[in-house]
Amino acid sequence: MPASSRRDFLQVGLGTLLGGGLVSALRARDPAKAATAPAKACILIWMDGGPTHFETFDPKPDAPEEYRGEFQPTPTTAGGVFFSEHMRQLAKHFDKLAVVRSIRHDQGNHGAGNHYMMTGAPPRIPVGCGAFVSFHPSLGSVVAHQKPAPAGLPAYFSLPSMTRSGGPNFLGARYAPFVSDGDPNSPGFRIRDVALPAGITEGRFADRSSLRGDVDRFQRLLDKASGDPVAALDDHYQQAAELMRSNEAQAAFRIGDEPPKVRDRYGRNSFGQRLLLARRLVEAGVPFITINDGGWDHHSDLFDALRKRLPNWDNSVSALVTDLDERGLLDSTLVIALGEFGRTPKISTLSGQSKAGRDHWANAMSVLFAGGGTPGGQVVGATDRKGFAAVERVLSPENFASTIYRKFGIDPNKMLYTPEGRPTHIVSDGTPIKELMG
Amino acid sequence: MRSLGLIFFTLLASVAAADRPVTFERDVQPLLTRSGCNAGACHGKARGQNGFALSLLGFDPTFDHNAIAKEARGRRLFPADPANSLLLLKASGSVAHGGGNKLPVGSPQYELVKKWIASGTPRTPADAPKLAKITVSPTEIVGTFKQQVPLRVTAHYTDGTTEDVTKLAAYQSNDAGYAAVDTDGVIRVGTIAGEAAITARFVEQFAVANVLIPLPTKVDASYYAKLPRINFIDGHVWDKLQRLNLTASEPAGESTFHRRAYLSVIGRLPTPDETRAYLVDTDAKKRAKLIDALLARPEYADFWANKWADLLRPNPYHVGIKATFTFDQWIRDQFRKNTPYDQFVRKLITAQGSTWKNGAAVFYRNRREPDELAPMVSRLFLGVRLDCAKCHQHPSEKWGQTDFYSFAAFFSRIGRKGVGISAPISGGEEVMFVKDAGSVKHPLTGQELMPTPLLGSPLTIAGDKDPREMLAEWATTKDNPFFARVIVNRVWAELMGRGLVDPVDDLRDTNPPTNPALLDALAADFRTNGHDLKKLIRAIVTSHAFALSSQPSDTNAADTRNYSRHYRQRLRAEPLLDAVSDVTGVAEKFDAMPEGSRAVEAWTVRFDSKFLDSFGRPDPNQDPPCERTSDTTVVQALHLMNAPGLAAKITSDKGRTAKLADGKKTPTEIVEELYLLAYNRRPTAEESELCVSKFEKTGVTRRTATEDLMWALINTPEFVFID
Repeated sequence: MPASSRRDFLQVGLGTLLGGGLVSALRARDPAKAATAPAKACILIWMDGGPTHFETFDPKPDAPEEYRGEFQPTPTTAGGVFFSEHMRQLAKHFDKLAVVRSIRHDQGNHGAGNHYMMTGAPPRIPVGCGAFVSFHPSLGSVVAHQKPAPAGLPAYFSLPSMTRSGGPNFLGARYAPFVSDGDPNSPGFRIRDVALPAGITEGRFADRSSLRGDVDRFQRLLDKASGDPVAALDDHYQQAAELMRSNEAQAAFRIGDEPPKVRDRYGRNSFGQRLLLARRLVEAGVPFITINDGGWDHHSDLFDALRKRLPNWDNSVSALVTDLDERGLLDSTLVIALGEFGRTPKISTLSGQSKAGRDHWANAMSVLFAGGGTPGGQVVGATDRKGFAAVERVLSPENFASTIYRKFGIDPNKMLYTPEGRPTHIVSDGTPIKELMG
Repeated sequence: MRSLGLIFFTLLASVAAADRPVTFERDVQPLLTRSGCNAGACHGKARGQNGFALSLLGFDPTFDHNAIAKEARGRRLFPADPANSLLLLKASGSVAHGGGNKLPVGSPQYELVKKWIASGTPRTPADAPKLAKITVSPTEIVGTFKQQVPLRVTAHYTDGTTEDVTKLAAYQSNDAGYAAVDTDGVIRVGTIAGEAAITARFVEQFAVANVLIPLPTKVDASYYAKLPRINFIDGHVWDKLQRLNLTASEPAGESTFHRRAYLSVIGRLPTPDETRAYLVDTDAKKRAKLIDALLARPEYADFWANKWADLLRPNPYHVGIKATFTFDQWIRDQFRKNTPYDQFVRKLITAQGSTWKNGAAVFYRNRREPDELAPMVSRLFLGVRLDCAKCHQHPSEKWGQTDFYSFAAFFSRIGRKGVGISAPISGGEEVMFVKDAGSVKHPLTGQELMPTPLLGSPLTIAGDKDPREMLAEWATTKDNPFFARVIVNRVWAELMGRGLVDPVDDLRDTNPPTNPALLDALAADFRTNGHDLKKLIRAIVTSHAFALSSQPSDTNAADTRNYSRHYRQRLRAEPLLDAVSDVTGVAEKFDAMPEGSRAVEAWTVRFDSKFLDSFGRPDPNQDPPCERTSDTTVVQALHLMNAPGLAAKITSDKGRTAKLADGKKTPTEIVEELYLLAYNRRPTAEESELCVSKFEKTGVTRRTATEDLMWALINTPEFVFID
């Protein structure tokens, strides 16, 4: 399909893009809820390691130097609201953003903090810092469980790798993230398994598929009460084949089809192109995409590292938000950026290091929200003058998780059952952050 | 059948007009539990619901009495006019209540609470008669399709009195597809032949009624008498089928049996030569010979160790990678030596020493506290799920907190030296030893608890004795009611596609086996054979029941519980990947494993494999025991179709397709070889002709035709499933 006509499709909307089949299948599952829940998709930008709140969205220009750091504040479009120096693009689009400055918890190491924010549930037992643990289904797995993707599409993607606590836990492998590694910034990138392997033409694949039909003589048990597991595999093969036959769905995965200008806009780097890919997955009907973006654990060399990193990050995230907005998708797509915690107010230099940094700090963190019906142009909550602690509208990871679920029309108080039959609330406190609910 | 109306009238009389005083623990608390008021979803959750909190399932009567009668300055009760108490207004839905109308105005339950409020909300005196047990009648029901059967539940108190509590009890069916039960204890039989257990619960007591639902058309006894009985298993299976009027499927064909035996016993496909040799063998005992040969092969140990690794394997991020390795090697070693199962468990339970030298000691590195170890040990080795009883009375069993913590007390004296679980990688060595002292306390009463076996009496353990030795002694003794049954059930489930008890580690009166006599016979045989797992597997796999076809007879299509036909299973992730490697002739490469290693040999799940992840390998972040689901998913279908790694194996110049295409075989011989590789049978003449014709199409080479057929075979259910 030529690029120009593809653009037309995108502007007309998702239903046309996918030829109706996949999307109408999605809508048919839950017509009432689809109308009332603002969010149909979520792109979760996971800043693994715990991003500093000072150098991103909660600058403290009036604090003493050893707290303030080296960066200057940047004014946003709203009077009196400042981001940190390198969040210049996002500052210009503050009308579309909400920043929560007052989420806090009590899990100061990576393993535990990650689990708490990624699942909305604190770890059940003490967890080591390097640990990867799972005691509760992750945000993405619960959404995949409650809001399936159109037939054939995985409902939960994690790019380019799984986050520490991003698994399905008791919901089972069906709700595990579909991990697609590889770098979408490199030529020839494809999403694994949904595209034909290198060297296999469509014609040959068609021949193979028809041969498969011919050799498949395995006797099916026609009585439904027999519980023949082969029936499920047949369904899944059918869905997989539909997905592959659908030119439109396949096109959605081909980031190379994106006009160069758009690719430039997101930034020609792995992170930027992953965000662009996430947008394309949203257009294809995928409800939850996690971008696992590592390297935010700045115990040392905080300022130089961020001088290099933040301008690109800022540019890519604002490209995503504005692009979604221009396509009319921002209202139905929730974009979130966060890590497992904030960082220590006082700048320090660890022994053996020459450059200063900040350490783990769970008493305050900043979380960026956009879209999915989130009223823009607002800051929710506040930390104290030195950024030590959330002091206004103190909010919990439970509030955070409940906000996401509510936006999808999922009741966070709903009970899920483990395979042992143990009832478990999706979130133990189902109160969302009301300022974000619109 | 007696009329329901009459029963209802009788109960109304017995509940509401009882002339004895109505008191809290005896009368009101059971109602709260029955109505779900104190369930985890409602007021029983930690913070309660809308400001009204009860203890979960009523484990703390004093707390509950306070919550109702005293808290909120008594606003929940209005003794001057009991019907206007908030408790009753809410519960009857007379004012808005999120939980709905639980006690309709005028119902016997409503009247009971009203009477309790009017009489001043008394608690049950401590010296009042206690509930000794409940009984249900009838207990054994032979039901017909769509029949309704009312149950009657009687409470027996320690003073010898009884009371009809049918209206106060809660009911649950273990399988509503066969027979459901409503809130008044009326069983409603469905339209499938089979069985269900209906549990009645009152306070902490249970009683079970079993419903057997045979097919309506009687099958003549002579049919069952003629069915083959190769060993003790068959007779028990046929007896059950006879009770249900189910007929058995025909025996599976030789090649189906052969493939099934390989994949079930050693988790790998037979080679074409092995299949050819087996198919031409005319020895009447060739099946038994085959099973003996398979049990003697080295693959046996890795395949079964791989299953056990799921149950025992620690989170590598928690214990460190070296400990993960030593534990894995220890498990494999036990299966190589065919260590008797009781000794295997004893070594685990009593493990001491370094986590770098004695793999079994790693069992105590991942789970550390007595209250983490108790539910793991009870679930794995005793089939008892104690987890719930850690915080509250088990909702469908007899276990309470005292049982939980006094069982946990067996693990109170584990000492540890060296590097514990620490940031960031927990790589250090740790040494387990027995401390001189250590105790476990009841979390509510603070009372120190003596180590106590399940259903047993507290043990006094000398200071120089390891309490875990006593636990192992009790667990593995021949009259332990749990030990042998849970392992034979687990092995049976692996081989037969479903446990006699399902889930396999949840043995309880309220979840009875589908064939208790068979479970007992398997357990007895296992003990007689010295807890020898290979002998157990041999008994099952050489039975006629194991060798039945998966194709239904004219009566048994809907039977998914009684083994009247063989139940298909998808290959587990590791054997499936190994099968792909064997068929394609290209070995998989694994991190930290020597070249040529097989997936079932992998000693950790902490390495990248999209194939294994797609097919449900446990997540390394998860704590054991990890029971796998055998779900199929779209991701699996896509992976088999398109995964670059799999595609590369099919087209590899060093692989099977290149060898076959470059060799001297005719297309007919190539097709036969591929069918023997993937399906472990010869193609039919029609299949052969069809596939050979693909070699003759224009634009096709021997190589591409071979590749395409291999791809097609790998992508069919006949390859992916054990038939």
